[in-house]
Amino acid sequence: MAQKANNKLLPLTEATFYILLALVTPKHGYAVMQEAEEVSQGTVRLAPGTIYGALTALEGSKLITMVDTVGRRKIYQVTELGKQILREQIHRYQIMLENAVNNNELWAASTSGEGVSLS
Amino acid sequence: MNTINKFKWFWAWQDEKEEAWLAEMARQGLHLESMPFPCVYQFRPGEPGDYVYRLDFQTLKDKDRDSYLQLFEDAGWEHVGDLGGWVYFRHIVNGSEIPDIYSDPKSKMGKYQRIMAILIVFLPIMIILVPQSRDLERYGSWHIIVEIISGILVLLFSFAIIQLFRRILSLKRLDESRL
Repeated sequence: MAQKANNKLLPLTEATFYILLALVTPKHGYAVMQEAEEVSQGTVRLAPGTIYGALTALEGSKLITMVDTVGRRKIYQVTELGKQILREQIHRYQIMLENAVNNNELWAASTSGEGVSLS
Repeated sequence: MNTINKFKWFWAWQDEKEEAWLAEMARQGLHLESMPFPCVYQFRPGEPGDYVYRLDFQTLKDKDRDSYLQLFEDAGWEHVGDLGGWVYFRHIVNGSEIPDIYSDPKSKMGKYQRIMAILIVFLPIMIILVPQSRDLERYGSWHIIVEIISGILVLLFSFAIIQLFRRILSLKRLDESRL
């Protein structure tokens, strides 16, 4: 039932996923950019125009909300809906990962290398 | 402080050309100071430098605008000035990586959609103006001039909308090309 309501919002893009994850604790836009880059190990690098648009859209979808302003910076945090969406996305990732990790043929193809470190 | 004025015209769909021109000026030691009027660029002479210029398009309320500009500043972008809805940013280039204000085609598409939204609002107004200018016939031959000017404006607006639409489409294709 809840799943049906969230169908339009899932799956999240990688960028949106990291933005929501960063906003589990309140942050301003630039702090979100920094955290996304850091925790994604540099794979997700967001430019300010993109972050600004994403925050505005996420606020419009009620996944995040502005909780404070410090100087000229707006501080955002995920809403309960945002957390719920995030958990559902993580659940999807878990299914994806299980499928991939348990696929022996996939890992047999590359006898050595980085693949092993995943398990 | 001495400044140098340059006059140059760029159309709404030539923002990337304008960005490249401003970067070229910076390489020659001319750094954009302000845009007092459309097609007038005021430069401050200084050390030649490798800068990247980016033009965003926003029509924000004052409060949103403050946090918007603060975010760009935090991310290392200097807000040079505004012209209409255009917001001019500058960033120094360190090394081989060229900084940008948009990191994916989808959000960049939003910028052109915002410009287009403004133009589309104005287009019907201009189209209405053309036939109405016939009422001016009683004022003599002036109506021909008015008609020609409004006709040209309608053509320009239509052309701008087509150009922006093409930009949006190519960005959309880029976005959808991801598997």
